[in-house]
Amino acid sequence: MAITRRELITTIAMTGGTAAVAVTVGTGTLHAETEGPRIPSAAVGLLYDATVCIGCKACVAACAEANGETPDTRGDSLHQAPTDLNDLTRNIIKLYKPTDGTPASFVKRQCMHCLDPACAAGCPFQALHKDLESGIVYWTADKCIGCRYCTITCPYHVPRFQWVGYNPRVTKCELCSHRLAQGLKPGCTSVCPTGAVIFGPRTVLLTEGKRRIKETPGRYYKDKVYGETDNGGTQSLYLSRVPFDDLGLPELGEESVPEKTLRWQRRFYQYFALPALLYAGLVQVIRKSVKGHVEEAHEHEKETGLRAQL
Amino acid sequence: MSAITTSQFKTEDRWERAVPVFGFPVVTRFFLVLMALTLVALVLTGYRELAGLGPVSGMNDAFGWGIWKTFNVMVLTALGSGAFAVGIAAWVFRRKKLHALMRMALLTSFLAYASGLLLLGIDAGRPWNFYWIVFPWKWNMHSPLAEVAICMSIYAMIPLAVENLPPVLERLWYFDSRLRPGVEKMEKHLHSVFPYVIALAYLLPGMHQSSLGALMLLAGERVHPLWQSPFLPLLYVWAACFMSFGCVAGCTMLCCLVWKRAMDMDVLDEAARITCGLIYGWAALRLLDIAFREQLGTAFHFDRFAGVFWLEMLMIVGGGYLLQRSVRTHERDKMFMGYVLSSVGGMIYRFSPTTLAFRPNPQALYFPATIEVLVSLGFIAMGVAGFLFAVKKFAILPGPLYLWHDMASYFRFRRPYIRWTGYFKYGFFGEDEELTNNPHE
Ligand code: SF4
Ligand code: SF4
Ligand code: SF4
Repeated sequence: MAITRRELITTIAMTGGTAAVAVTVGTGTLHAETEGPRIPSAAVGLLYDATVCIGCKACVAACAEANGETPDTRGDSLHQAPTDLNDLTRNIIKLYKPTDGTPASFVKRQCMHCLDPACAAGCPFQALHKDLESGIVYWTADKCIGCRYCTITCPYHVPRFQWVGYNPRVTKCELCSHRLAQGLKPGCTSVCPTGAVIFGPRTVLLTEGKRRIKETPGRYYKDKVYGETDNGGTQSLYLSRVPFDDLGLPELGEESVPEKTLRWQRRFYQYFALPALLYAGLVQVIRKSVKGHVEEAHEHEKETGLRAQL
Repeated sequence: MSAITTSQFKTEDRWERAVPVFGFPVVTRFFLVLMALTLVALVLTGYRELAGLGPVSGMNDAFGWGIWKTFNVMVLTALGSGAFAVGIAAWVFRRKKLHALMRMALLTSFLAYASGLLLLGIDAGRPWNFYWIVFPWKWNMHSPLAEVAICMSIYAMIPLAVENLPPVLERLWYFDSRLRPGVEKMEKHLHSVFPYVIALAYLLPGMHQSSLGALMLLAGERVHPLWQSPFLPLLYVWAACFMSFGCVAGCTMLCCLVWKRAMDMDVLDEAARITCGLIYGWAALRLLDIAFREQLGTAFHFDRFAGVFWLEMLMIVGGGYLLQRSVRTHERDKMFMGYVLSSVGGMIYRFSPTTLAFRPNPQALYFPATIEVLVSLGFIAMGVAGFLFAVKKFAILPGPLYLWHDMASYFRFRRPYIRWTGYFKYGFFGEDEELTNNPHE
C-alpha cells in the first residue's frame, strides 16, 4: 500500500494506451491551427488614417444615431461628449497630445474585429462570436451571462458593460451590420468629411493602406499598417504618424493573444483526452484505497463496538 | 493559551472518531450576528438585482470584476479546496492519518463553494442565461471562464455534495432505529459509487482551480509580470492546496481550542509536514518562473507591486518555516500561526492578479463600495453560520474515543428531558451497550 506513487504512474500508463492516441491526434490538429487564424472569406473592415482625421467627431454622433442610441450627455447634461467608449458609445475619437512637443494625433477607437478575437475566446457560452463569412464579431443578448470577462480579455478594451439596470447589455461596435444588410455603409464611414475612415473588404483596405505608405514614404510610423499581422491580424486597420502604442493600440506581436496565452490550456482540454486519462488513473488508485479503508473501519468497529464512520 | 502551548500528548487523545460538538447551544449571540449579516446581504442582493451592478459596487469599465468574484470566488474557494487537497493526500497518496480531517475538509469545501457559487450568480449581470449550462454543445470549451463556471457548479452539486452525505446518513441512523435498514441500504449504494465520485471530486477542482489562474492569462501584460506567467494555472492550484490544508488544519485546531478538545499531534504534524513541503515547492516554482522570465528585477523596484510581492512571499514562506519548526518542537501556537500566515499570504496571492497587480490603465481605480462589502461579508457569514450549525449537529470534528462516550452520557444523564437528541434516543444508547468498551468505565 505504501508505494503509491509508482502504482499511480503505472496505472496511468496502463490505461494510457488508447488515450495517448487520442491526445496525439488532438495535438496534431492543434498544430494545424497554429498556422495563424483563418481569414473569413468575405472579411470586411475599416481603414482609419490618423494623419487625415481632423477630429470633428461627426463619426461619433453618426455611430450613436445609426445604432439607435440616445446621445450620451452624462458629461455636462448638454453635449454629446462621452470621454471613452461606454455603454452608449461604440465609437470614440480621442486626442493623443504629448507634452514634449512631438506631433499630436487623433485616434478613432472601436472594435478591431480581430481575426482571432480574445473576447470570443473567453466568452463562456459564445455570446460573442465571429461571423464565419464577414468576420464581424457579434454579441448575442440571449447567450450573455453578464460576466464581464470580455471587458478584461479584449486587448483593446472595447466591450463595455452597462452598469445600471436589471437587464444590462454589452456594447461594442458590430460594424453596423443592420446597415450593411440594407446595402449602406457603417455610420462612421458614411459621414466622415475627410475620408479618414473608410469601409471595404479587408484585402482592398490593406492594399490601399500599403499604397499610401508607398506614395509618401516616411509619413507613417514604421511604414506599417497596424492590424495586418498584429494580434494575429485584425479587420480594422490603422495608419498613424505617432507610435501605435501611444494611441492605445499595443504592440502585441504576430501571434494572437488567445493563441499565445491559452496554448497549454487548449492542448490540455483538447477532446478531453487528458482529463479522461487522469480520471481513469484516479479511479483505479482510489478503488483500492477505499477497499482498504473500509476494511480498516470495520476492524475498528469490532474493536470499539462503535459504528464505523467512513 | 496554555491549552495550545502544552505539548505532552497522550495516546488516548488520538483522534479516532468524529464527534459532534455537544453541550453548546447552536443559537449563540455570535450566531445571531452572523444571521443578521446574512439577512442584510440577502436584502441588498434584492436591491442589486433591480438597480444593476453600478449603484451597489465600485466596479467600473476598467475593473470589470469586484471583490465578489475576486475575493469570494477566487480566494475563498481556494481556502475551500480542502476536499481536493487533503482528499488527494488521504485517498490517492494514502496518508491514512489524514482521514481524521476529511469530514472537516469536506464540510469547509462545500460551504465555501456553495457561498461562492451563489455570489457568482449574483455577480453575473444576466444570470438567467446560465441555462445554457445544460447544453454542452453551446459551451465554449476553450474558455477558462466557462471551465470555471460549469466545472465548479457540477463539482459542488454532485461529487462534493455526495461526499458530504455520510455524516447526514449517520445522523439519521442514530436518530431512529426504524430508519436504519433504509439508511444502511443507501450507504451500501453510496460505497459502491464512492471511488468514481471521489475521483471526479479530484479531477474537477484540479481543473477549475487551475482555470481560475488561466482566467487572467488572456489579460496579458495588464497583469504585472511578477504575477503574469504561463505557470499561473499551476501556481493557482498549488496555492489552493497549501491554503486549504491551512484552512482545514487551522480551523480544526481553532475548534479544538474553543470547544476544549484534545489535539492529536500525530495527525496535525502530518498535515503540517505536507503543508510545509507544498509551500516550499510552490515558492521555489514561483521564484524560478520569475527568474526564467527575467523579471526578478521588477521585484526590487520601489513600488506597490514589489511591496505586495514581498508581503506575499514573506508571509507564505514564513508560515512554512513556522510549520516546519513546529513539527520538530511540537509548539502548537507556532503551528497555528504558521497556518494563518501561509493561508493569508496565499489569499493575497490569489487576490493580486485580478486586483492588486491588475493595471488596465494608469488612471484606473477600484475600491469596493459599502454595499458590495456588506454583501460579500454576508455570504461569508452564511458559510460560517452553516459551519457552526453543522459541527454541532453532525459528527464532523475529529475527537478521541472517550469523547464519544462522554457525549453519550451527557445526553443520557445531563439532559434527559430532551427525548430526541439526534444521536441518542432517550433511554437508548444507539449502539449495543454491552459491546462498547468505554475506557473510562
Ligand atoms: S477588438 Fe476586442 S472586442 Fe473587438 S474583436 Fe478584438 S477582442 Fe473582440
Ligand atoms: S459579459 Fe457576456 S459577452 Fe462578455 S464575456 Fe461575459 S457572457 Fe460573453
Ligand atoms: S468623422 Fe472622420 S474626420 Fe471626423 S473625427 Fe471621425 S474619422 Fe475623424
